[in-house]
Amino acid sequence: MTFGYYSFESLQRELERMLAAAFGAPTGVASITGVYPAVDVFDAGEQYVVTAELPGVRKDDVEIEVEDDTLTLRGERKVPPLDEKAAWHRRERPSGRFRRVVRLARLDSESAAAEFKDGVLTVRLPKAKEIRPRKVEIQVG
Amino acid sequence: MTATSEGTARETQTEAAAREMEARPKQKVERTEERTRPSATFQPLVDIHETPEELVVVADMPGVGPDGVEIEVEGNHLTIEGHVRPQDYEGLKPVHVEYVIGDYYRRFTLGDAIDREAIKAEMRDGVLTLHLPKSTQARVRRIPVS
Repeated sequence: MTFGYYSFESLQRELERMLAAAFGAPTGVASITGVYPAVDVFDAGEQYVVTAELPGVRKDDVEIEVEDDTLTLRGERKVPPLDEKAAWHRRERPSGRFRRVVRLARLDSESAAAEFKDGVLTVRLPKAKEIRPRKVEIQVG
Repeated sequence: MTATSEGTARETQTEAAAREMEARPKQKVERTEERTRPSATFQPLVDIHETPEELVVVADMPGVGPDGVEIEVEGNHLTIEGHVRPQDYEGLKPVHVEYVIGDYYRRFTLGDAIDREAIKAEMRDGVLTLHLPKSTQARVRRIPVS
C-alpha cells in the first residue's frame, strides 16, 4: 500500500481536527503550549506508536522508560553557549531539561522499541496480549 | 511541602514545573504560490548568532533528513524548506494529538554583507545549520600596530 498524495493530507487534517477538538486550539496553531516535548500517540493495531519531536537531542541525552501502562521520556536539550566573540540576534529554540509521562493502556513492556531519526523519537509499544485486537474465525458449519 | 525534616529547602511542585521546558505551538505558514507537495507547512524555530566572520542560522526541522532540505538564495532573500517523509506515518491511526506533522518553510532577508557564494549548510538530527560568511569588506579587520 503506497502513501499517495491524498493520504498524508488526510492524516494532517485528522491531526489538526483532533488537536483542535482536544485543546480548543485555533486554526493555524499546531501544538499545545505546555509540557515539552509534545507527543502524538498512534494506534497501529498490535502496538501503540508514540512520536515526539526532539530536534538536536542526542541519543545519550534522552532516557526512555516503560512500565505497566506508562511511558516516561526524560532528558536534556542542550544548546551550546556562544563564545565571547559572538552575539545572539534571535533565540527561539527551547533548551533545558524535560520529563514527559504518557499514560496508555496495558503494555507489554518487554518488547518496547525506540528509534531516534532526524530529531524524531519514535517509541513502539506492543499492547499487552489481552488487549490486542484478535481475529475471530468465522466457523462455517 | 517546602521543607524536609532536616530543614533543607525543597522545591515545590510549582517551582519545578516552572523550570521545565515549554512546548511551543507550531506556527502555520500560508503558502500562496503553487506547490506540487500539498502538505500543511510550519515555520521552524530558529536561533541566529553573529561572529566576526559569519552569521549562523540554526533551524529546528524535526523529521527532515539531509535529502529533504531545500535552500535558495534569490536576490536579498534566503529561503529554507524542509520536507518530512509521509511514509513514516503510513498505517498509523492517531489517538492522541499534541502536534501536527508537516513540512517547514521560512524566508529571511539578507543584508548586502553576506558572501552568497560561500554559504554552507549542514543537516543533522532534524537541525539545519547555515553558515553565512560575511563578505570580506564587511568583516572586521584587525590592523596590526607596529
